[in-house]
Amino acid sequence: MSSDGAASDAELIVAVLERDDRRAFARLVERHQSRVRTVLRRLTKGDMALADDLAQETFVLAWRNLASFRFEARFSTWIYRIAFNAWQSEARKRREVAMDLDDEAPPEGSESYEEMPDIVSRMDLERAMAALSDGERAAIAACYYADLSHEEASEALGMPLGTVKTHVMRAKAKLKARLAQKEPT
Amino acid sequence: MNTTDKLDRILRRDAAEELPDAGFAARVLMELPPPRPRRAAGLDPFLVAGSAALGSLLAVAFAPSEANVVQGMIDLFQRQMLTPAAYASIGLSATLLVSAVLLAREG
Repeated sequence: MSSDGAASDAELIVAVLERDDRRAFARLVERHQSRVRTVLRRLTKGDMALADDLAQETFVLAWRNLASFRFEARFSTWIYRIAFNAWQSEARKRREVAMDLDDEAPPEGSESYEEMPDIVSRMDLERAMAALSDGERAAIAACYYADLSHEEASEALGMPLGTVKTHVMRAKAKLKARLAQKEPT
Repeated sequence: MNTTDKLDRILRRDAAEELPDAGFAARVLMELPPPRPRRAAGLDPFLVAGSAALGSLLAVAFAPSEANVVQGMIDLFQRQMLTPAAYASIGLSATLLVSAVLLAREG
């Protein structure tokens, strides 16, 4: 088995576990770094330096705990779970993360979605994401950026399934309302 | 296209944008713990078996004369658990059992 680009994630993991193969692990990092860093950038409200530090911590933790990886799960799902935990720990150091439901309603005008542009700039999207609650942002990051199902997101975030669904619904209503107020770029 | 589709498309397009590695993987590799010291393949079973054999030989050589292993087995068979020979037999059996378990795990 080689650690080249054609090897599956599972083959690369076996190479790491059996032979301490760092080239194989480098391939795993190269393959997943973009999504993991993007997820963390959205979670950290666009703080790229912090997001990359957390991404680095995520992959180092993955290396240390690779023996506990269960091959029936996708490696990406597993690594996102580590990334979410890293973000939650970091956020707790700074302040308490409120992952449960709040009563905040979508902003005014959230019903007038017709104005939402077809294309929005990354800056506008980052601003709109940053305005979400921690729980809502985490739910959107999990379901859209990490491409997890609601069930997988629930497990990765340690949230009840119903809470994930509610967070996603509220977050989308808020995003639509905020993005509708922006001019197309 | 309804607004839900539009927002989904915007989010998924943002998520799919590829971030260049730009040395990220190399930085991760530098943070990994140092490589495990390499031992010749298949050396571990010999180390375990050798240690067990040496330990057993030393136990037999230095055991008091009344702690004869064969006598210990006889004592145990006769349910005399508190004799020195019985203790020596139990110790030797435990050593061999641990070695066997370790070897089985290596296999």
